[in-house]
Amino acid sequence: MSAFVPLVALVLTVLVLAFKAWPAIRVNGAHFLVGSSWKPGNVYGAVSTTGGVAHPLGSSYGAWPAIAGTLESSALAIIIAVPISIGAAFALTERLPRWLAEILRSAIEVLAGVPSVLLGLWGALTLGPLLANDVYPIVANHMPNVPFFSFFRGPTGHGEGLLTSGIVLALMIIPIVASTTRNLFAQVPALPKEGGEALGMTDWEVGRKITIPWVRAGIIGATVLGLGRAFGETIAVAMISGSLLNTITPNIYGTMGTVAATLVTQLDSAFADGTGFEVRTLAELAVVLVVVVLIVNTVARIIVRRTGHLAAPVGGVI
Amino acid sequence: MIRPTRPARIVVALSAVFAVGLGSSLVAATAASAKAKPKKVSTAIEKPGAATVTETGSTLLYPLWNIWVPAYTQKYPSVSITTNGTGSGTGIADATNGTIDIGSSDAYLPPATVQATPTLENIPLAISVQVIAYNLPGVTAHLNLSGKVLSSIYQGKITRWNDPAIAAANPNVTLPATPIVALHRSDGSGDTFIFTQYLSDSDKNGWGKSVGYGTSVQWPTTPGGLGENGNGGMVTGCKATVGCIAYVGISYLSQLLGDGLFYAALQNGKGQYELPSSAAVAAEAKFFLKKTPADGTISLIDGPVKGGYPIINYEYAIVNTQQSSASTAKAMRSLLEWAVNPKFGNSSQYLSQVSFQPLPKKLLTNSLKQIHKIS
Amino acid sequence: MVARGARVASDGYPSTRRRRIAEQAFRALTLLALLAVVAPVIWVITGIVARAVPHWRWSVLTTNTVGASGGLENAILGSLAIMLGVLIIAGTLGVLGGVYLSELAGFNRKGKQRGAVLRSATEVLAGVPSIALGLVGYLALVVQFHWGFSVLAAVIVLSVIVIPYITRGTEVALRQVPTNYREGAEALGMSTGYSLRKVVVRSAIPGIATSVLIALAISVGETAPMLYTAGWFTGIPKASLFHQPIGYLTYPVWTFWDYPSNQAHYLAFDAALILLVLVLVLLVIARLVVARSQRFAENRRN
Repeated sequence: MSAFVPLVALVLTVLVLAFKAWPAIRVNGAHFLVGSSWKPGNVYGAVSTTGGVAHPLGSSYGAWPAIAGTLESSALAIIIAVPISIGAAFALTERLPRWLAEILRSAIEVLAGVPSVLLGLWGALTLGPLLANDVYPIVANHMPNVPFFSFFRGPTGHGEGLLTSGIVLALMIIPIVASTTRNLFAQVPALPKEGGEALGMTDWEVGRKITIPWVRAGIIGATVLGLGRAFGETIAVAMISGSLLNTITPNIYGTMGTVAATLVTQLDSAFADGTGFEVRTLAELAVVLVVVVLIVNTVARIIVRRTGHLAAPVGGVI
Repeated sequence: MIRPTRPARIVVALSAVFAVGLGSSLVAATAASAKAKPKKVSTAIEKPGAATVTETGSTLLYPLWNIWVPAYTQKYPSVSITTNGTGSGTGIADATNGTIDIGSSDAYLPPATVQATPTLENIPLAISVQVIAYNLPGVTAHLNLSGKVLSSIYQGKITRWNDPAIAAANPNVTLPATPIVALHRSDGSGDTFIFTQYLSDSDKNGWGKSVGYGTSVQWPTTPGGLGENGNGGMVTGCKATVGCIAYVGISYLSQLLGDGLFYAALQNGKGQYELPSSAAVAAEAKFFLKKTPADGTISLIDGPVKGGYPIINYEYAIVNTQQSSASTAKAMRSLLEWAVNPKFGNSSQYLSQVSFQPLPKKLLTNSLKQIHKIS
Repeated sequence: MVARGARVASDGYPSTRRRRIAEQAFRALTLLALLAVVAPVIWVITGIVARAVPHWRWSVLTTNTVGASGGLENAILGSLAIMLGVLIIAGTLGVLGGVYLSELAGFNRKGKQRGAVLRSATEVLAGVPSIALGLVGYLALVVQFHWGFSVLAAVIVLSVIVIPYITRGTEVALRQVPTNYREGAEALGMSTGYSLRKVVVRSAIPGIATSVLIALAISVGETAPMLYTAGWFTGIPKASLFHQPIGYLTYPVWTFWDYPSNQAHYLAFDAALILLVLVLVLLVIARLVVARSQRFAENRRN
């Protein structure tokens, strides 16, 4: 019976959220995904009714800035985390003396186990200010003012923002990608690798031409799995992103917000809406988050499965 | 018992809102408070039996609750009280749905909430103040700022500290050309509610029409403008940003000064610039006392009063007057009676620790009447 | 794949010099990756220790939180109580679920594994953001069921978060039990249930224990889903499942780190340090369990 608990919990979660969100989904419509202003309306003013659903006059919800912030910060995290994770997996399986590999393995385990509120605290008090004072200004001042690179120019803020969030998110998904990749590497048969070496290939050539192609789909799957984790991370991002509403950052250092952080920072004021509409809208936002994460995870697992290897458990610790 | 009062309460609540929005008198509200019968209200504190009382809500009131509770339970050990600072919205919602017994809030109940649950009431417990802080190295004076200037700053129309509009109000201060970075709360909050009310009231045709007020509003884009999470985030962010301006609850005053920030004198409804001194807060409170309706639903913003500081607010306890347990109801009454009593909870011994001001004596009667309704 | 390697060779390699440089760069990059993982971990740990230790008072462990100052006894005991609850609920359900999926789900008539849907649901649930589960816990348990902020609501939400890890860990551990153990048990005439209990599950215990320990580490470090289910309580936890909020260690970190007083900051750092130590202890125990079982297995093999 107990094997059914996850299935039941999953169904109930989706049902409760969908039930709560349904009136908001009807009223907010497709505008919710593309609109860029999050207006709770005046909760002390008149109540208006749209399609039988009461909400404060002037309320209108668009979650695009939060969605864009989620995509940007998660993409950054992936860009930073994947090369490091693959390098670390190489280091673990082939490259390092045993004692050093053991240290790395422990570090990955600790990284997976450190509560996100602690990573947030470190990001907000230590990493963010350091980067903002000593690193970001140098980068910003030396970037050419041409398309793409201009995204790295401009005011560098005081440490809260997109890049800091991306870096801390990357630390959170490295354990997932690295441990899955390591498991995959360990499953590459020794024969082709030894064959490559016998042909005089260097370690890099064996890695690039034999090991990585052998498990490429698995790495992509693990990356997508990490993406799902980055989408859903809440507390750390709420502490280091600036958790803004209605703002898409003009450069890579700027403050912004994500879907998950919006859920935790806006829930309180949502309760002040006597019509209950803002809470319903936040439930809608949670539905969006859950649906996207479910799609991403399913895709990841299909990719990983197809290669015939089992993915490491999320969190990558075991 | 409940039915007849319901429409009246809504009228009061709505009229208070409109009156503040239009910035003029509160006729309906005054009428409502005048109707209350002049009956002597007992200030005695009931002796509760064994009971558990839960409180959650405003992060501004949370430190005060934590000062109050040990003192109260020392006297009445049979009551066990838990407090939590989750934010005013949660305080309102959880008192409404019965998750907790006492919610606390920086803002009064929205009319829609009262309409849905007419047995709710907001009981003024104390008076809080908002300060406008800024980070301008070299400027050690309290700058004079008006609602109009603040409105222009938060709309991105005034972008430098040496703008003529600011300079005109501060003739004796040498202002730098530092760009202004306007900070606002990114989480919904009672602080945003009263700050935007002040902007709406002093710039009726500008801010009042384009942005309005609420616990969270759609902030106009300003150069370098930043959102900050919580009062703590406002202070930390302002400390880190030269040229910043921020609105902060007064319980954060010591932190603010410790971080080298200064706070402004604000222009009140009579055109004077006033610092948030006890006297200025008391003057403002006194003016609004006459207008405060029996249910305490009113904003204390920008009153046309000599020597008044224009952004103050009541801190409320949100309670449902119909409690399922008689012993809990009694303990709630006892705790709240103790909290508003000037000899106990409302004495400066407790309030000064968070820079709050006590309730005026007349309002005490009002609050006690509300408290006695809990059963 | 071998053919591929051979083709590269026959296509003609780049110059030896370039190959050597590429190889050196590869070595450097692996070392860099190593550094990029190890350095932040050390930095995070030392950063938290360095903030907490200068103001550390042992009385933090023995006094309760008062407002935003005082100690953390209430939070420590609360976290331990919540972990105990998670151990009971998630431990039982998670391990049983894993045993079912690995040993009992079997195959249907088409030869497909019956547990496939349940297994997918488990994996999918592991990916659901914890804030969403916390929101559901608040809407359903705290408000709709009128439990209020309560230990049970927190424990149930946390259990739902960690059950997938335990189920998955149990399943993997059981899969790794050698087939000849099961065959041996069968040959001795044991019933399926008896052999499961006495032979299979017993030899998978280290793996199961590890997954439970990791699950406890995850549950003690959660913040977002706790805020609206456990609430917060400044007293010693009470033996009441409903209507009684409870303290926990992530709350002071999240709430007090930007609170307007130094005492509050110290409390946040102290809570962070205790949390860190707790998590590291759980990880170390998990490591020891694995190491011990490996040594045991090696001895047996010899």
